[in-house]
Amino acid sequence: MNAFDYRAPRGLDETFAILQEYGDDASVVAGGTALVTMMKQGLVRPRCVVSLRDVDGLDGIEATNGALRLGARVTHREAEVSSLVMERLPVLAETFRRVGTIRIRHMATIGGALAHADPNQDPPVTLLALGATVEIRRAGSRRALPLEAFFRDYYETALEPGELVTGITVPLLAPASGAAFLKFLPRTADDYATVAVAVTVTLEPDGEHGREARIALGSVGTTPLRGRAAEALLSGERLDENLLRAVEEAIKAAVDPLSDHRGSAAYKREMAAVMVGRALTQAWEAARRAAREGR
Amino acid sequence: MLHLTVNGTSHDVEIPTYRTLLDCLRYDLGLTGSKEGCGVGVCGACAVLLDGTMISSCIALAVFADGREVTTVEGLADDERLHPVQQAFIDYGGFQCGICTPGQVVAAKALLDAIPDPSDAEIREWMLGNLCRCTGYYKIIESIRAAARPRRP
Amino acid sequence: MTDAARPHRIVGQPIGRLDGLDKVTGRGRYSADVSLPGLVWGKALRSPLPHARILRIDPSKAQALPGVLAVLTAQDLPRVLVGRRMFDMPLLARDRVRFVGEKVAAVAALDPDIAEEALALITVEYEDLPAVFDPVRAIEDGAPVLHEDPGAYDGAPPERPHPNVQSVLRFKLGDAAAGLREADRIFEHTFRTGLAHHGYIEPHAGVVAIDEDGRVQVWASNKMPFRLRELLSHAIQLPKERIRVNLTPIGGDFGGKGSLMDLPLAYYLARVTGRPVKMVMRYTEELMAGNPRHPAVITLRTGVTEDGRIVARRVTALYNSGAYAAFKPAPSVNLGGASMGAGVYRIPHLLIESFCVYTNNVPCGHARSPGEPQMVFAEESHMDMIARDLGLDPAELRRRNLLRDGDLLPNGHHLEHVRAQETLEAALEASDWAKPKPGPWIGRGVAMCHRHIGVGFTNARVRLETDGRVSLVIGLPDTGTGAHMVLRQVVAEVLGLSIDEVQIELATTDTFETDSGVGGSRVTHTGGRAAYHAAEALKEQIRAETAKLAMPTASLAELAQAAARAGRTLEASYFYDAKAHGAVTSFTAQVAEVSVDPTTGHVTVRRFTTAHDVGTIINPIGHQGQIEGGLIQGLGFALMEELRTEDGRISTLSLGDVKLPTIADIPPLTTVILHDPVGPGPFHAKAIGEGSISPVAPAVANAVADACGVRVLDLPITAEKVYFALRARAPRS
Repeated sequence: MNAFDYRAPRGLDETFAILQEYGDDASVVAGGTALVTMMKQGLVRPRCVVSLRDVDGLDGIEATNGALRLGARVTHREAEVSSLVMERLPVLAETFRRVGTIRIRHMATIGGALAHADPNQDPPVTLLALGATVEIRRAGSRRALPLEAFFRDYYETALEPGELVTGITVPLLAPASGAAFLKFLPRTADDYATVAVAVTVTLEPDGEHGREARIALGSVGTTPLRGRAAEALLSGERLDENLLRAVEEAIKAAVDPLSDHRGSAAYKREMAAVMVGRALTQAWEAARRAAREGR
Repeated sequence: MLHLTVNGTSHDVEIPTYRTLLDCLRYDLGLTGSKEGCGVGVCGACAVLLDGTMISSCIALAVFADGREVTTVEGLADDERLHPVQQAFIDYGGFQCGICTPGQVVAAKALLDAIPDPSDAEIREWMLGNLCRCTGYYKIIESIRAAARPRRP
Repeated sequence: MTDAARPHRIVGQPIGRLDGLDKVTGRGRYSADVSLPGLVWGKALRSPLPHARILRIDPSKAQALPGVLAVLTAQDLPRVLVGRRMFDMPLLARDRVRFVGEKVAAVAALDPDIAEEALALITVEYEDLPAVFDPVRAIEDGAPVLHEDPGAYDGAPPERPHPNVQSVLRFKLGDAAAGLREADRIFEHTFRTGLAHHGYIEPHAGVVAIDEDGRVQVWASNKMPFRLRELLSHAIQLPKERIRVNLTPIGGDFGGKGSLMDLPLAYYLARVTGRPVKMVMRYTEELMAGNPRHPAVITLRTGVTEDGRIVARRVTALYNSGAYAAFKPAPSVNLGGASMGAGVYRIPHLLIESFCVYTNNVPCGHARSPGEPQMVFAEESHMDMIARDLGLDPAELRRRNLLRDGDLLPNGHHLEHVRAQETLEAALEASDWAKPKPGPWIGRGVAMCHRHIGVGFTNARVRLETDGRVSLVIGLPDTGTGAHMVLRQVVAEVLGLSIDEVQIELATTDTFETDSGVGGSRVTHTGGRAAYHAAEALKEQIRAETAKLAMPTASLAELAQAAARAGRTLEASYFYDAKAHGAVTSFTAQVAEVSVDPTTGHVTVRRFTTAHDVGTIINPIGHQGQIEGGLIQGLGFALMEELRTEDGRISTLSLGDVKLPTIADIPPLTTVILHDPVGPGPFHAKAIGEGSISPVAPAVANAVADACGVRVLDLPITAEKVYFALRARAPRS
């Protein structure tokens, strides 16, 4: 790695001041799994590495009104085993569990994962399906951005210079809802997904017709995506084989995968459809159970 | 100046910021038990505990350990009494060339600390990030099962 | 030799390896762990282009970087070419680079990060040359030629049908062309396999220090230290007596750690800086330049009778050897595994032609069973395709053709103690071959191979110490197989000692004249026989000394002390040289049971069975460990691993992307052992290190074909390949 200044501020104000000082020459680090790897490979050569590891106010998982809020420095592992997350949004805990290996999950933070914006990551897919909102702060102001507006391109987000992700708010599922996350990784058990899919379904009070569905996919474009055309097909409908096929066709049209080591674009397109079909079936079934049980 | 405790011993060491925790342990402190394999945090040969939490030291900056406690493979045995996972790896052939073994035993110890009686599925999930090219893993699983056995009530 | 039928005291016991203490505590010092006062770090700059002229190298900015002690280019080095058998590779590229990753400059600096920074400051001007990457293209007329006159290189074999052919190896019986004309049916298929890295978790590492006497001290991740000394002597132009290789444990070899790699550069950097130099490859460098397994294009043409007896076979193998022949150690400069084009079958008319071809790719070397997993994948898949076409059970087709006692192999041997049939039946039985499959989309596939026990030469010395223990002095490094434990057990058995009473004393290259080192599944045989005979000789000395000193009830310690007082050390040496392969081989038969998910093409191995025809097993834990380890490497080769290249540039640049099997990827495994104590090793041991890797891929490929009718002709067998093949057959499933 290149030589660099290392700064470890204690508070956000100090952090913003350092970022102001170094401008483009500073990289922010929390867990380090992405940044340090890229620095070792010579892909990133910051003049200053600003650590968020000791900054106050970035931790914690708490329940707010109808949502969970996770601080930016919450690690994948903390989210995975948090009783709050496991009880209130089990699909999210399961998603965090599928990331990499236990060592990566111990180090990598949610804020870091979002800021890294690798479209092959798992948590953004489920967060997208859950309708999460990202908290962003800069010196003197803060804003909230829906997650779909946050990812711009491959490794590129809506973060302006001097801005940091400070947390993410994830709404709980409405009554009569179900969710599923599927990670398709056909090579070995430790890999990014060939295709990852998260689906949330909310049914009408009759427990049979779809009211709202959100379909999110990862590894099929330069950012995680919503399959909006497919979602629209489900509104007011009962799920049957024909509808599933139609949804799958709509998904194939919606995705624009890049060929990589985990699959050609053509294969990823096919698997996006297959996995959405499976996840939708699972989520729908979970929603029907919830409706029956009055949850 | 980095101040860290490794296996119970305090160290003050002058290092450049770009020093990884692994390189600091191996070259500044002479603790060569932790190994560099893939260099990108995947293979697990560099696994150490940072404040009791298992991490990949090859992608951790040494400064991350400032003021903290690190446990390496050298800290698992109690004087000459091996940790149960270390003994089990010997008895059941959980090692061959030994280069991944420090990471394997650190990970196995961390596993049994977190889950004293792990199922096979739990063993595989936890140990997923410890690659071995020699054994084919069968005897690693056997070793961990054997080390866990006395812990059953 | 002792009576093999009598069970042994120590040999055959599943004793945990006593060298385990160093491994599980992290105390063992591998080459990268070696520390010396004043040590500095070396790094190599590598070519980004597959074929180019070097116009200019400017090291000045790198030399000026604080912390940099030296920068070397080819101009600073003698014009030496290195290799293991054929010497065609320069220490640093002089006026031309021939593959992406070829070393162009070397740097020494105070720490590895500064050394890396320095590399980025060396400017090199290149001029592209036309390149060729495919071995089929490389031997066509008009293909870009990599080496103007390969025949002029030391060690170059004489036959050269094209300047891009490094070597040709043939295996011949009868008249294949005539035999094919006599056949009722002829089948021809072509198969492909890609680059495969050994995947050892320890990248190449070495330390070179020049001590005050001017002797060169070396610590290296190299499994044949005596050959290393010879090769280094040649590369740095010093007599071999001036070089001492100090043995270190090696973190995985699998055939890949037998060459000089960066050591000559470490030497020259040490000479220029006056400091010890350590060079450790980053894993990216291993993937770009680490002498991986050869990719292959293999065509088999087999003629059979209507009832499935093989009458003739013609095999052509093109092994894509990359830019240099330097990493191949066999006298043929080719790959012995090509002989498995004949499979485990009696083929009266056979011609196998194996070509190692120059291309502008990473130079390849030996890997576990060199050339063999590629060939066995092709050959055993081919057999299944023939069986299917003839309407025969693949096991039955094999039965009708298996080798028998007395059959002639192309190497001139008449085989003895052949148990091909028994091994096959054992695998079929244990895998429930004949039973109905438990469900749809489930298939079973069988594959077989056989292998000679490795040969080589080893020096061993055993010495009775004054504390009554026995030291076994041996110059074979520990590559992880458990060989040292095996040798200790052999010595303990011969001398009637407990295992704790025998210790290993690791030699250096000063201790003995020579040793062929580790590899080729030879150590139990050559090391074992050397240790056995040395121990027998020591036993005789003990008997004689006991008589001479008239101390019939003395303990060994007392005897040794008494002898020492008389100025004598009880010590015996033995040099064992197994000159040629014998007439005995080991058979392996494997059955894979897989399920295929038709909506994704994903292949899951439900269970795997491996049956081995073995000799006496000296340490069952180690023996089984070799079976399991080789098998999972075979599984990775079959289903998961890929080292991709595009126009000579390797795009799999991290070990994480290679997709080595993880602990969660291993299938339930049944091992069947058939003992037959007829090996050339001590106590009639055979060999096991390379017994389990080769049939895995065809067993899986055959199982996939059985499960869903898709025949994959190139590895790895990915979900994507199976998926699109299924779609091509049935556009809407």
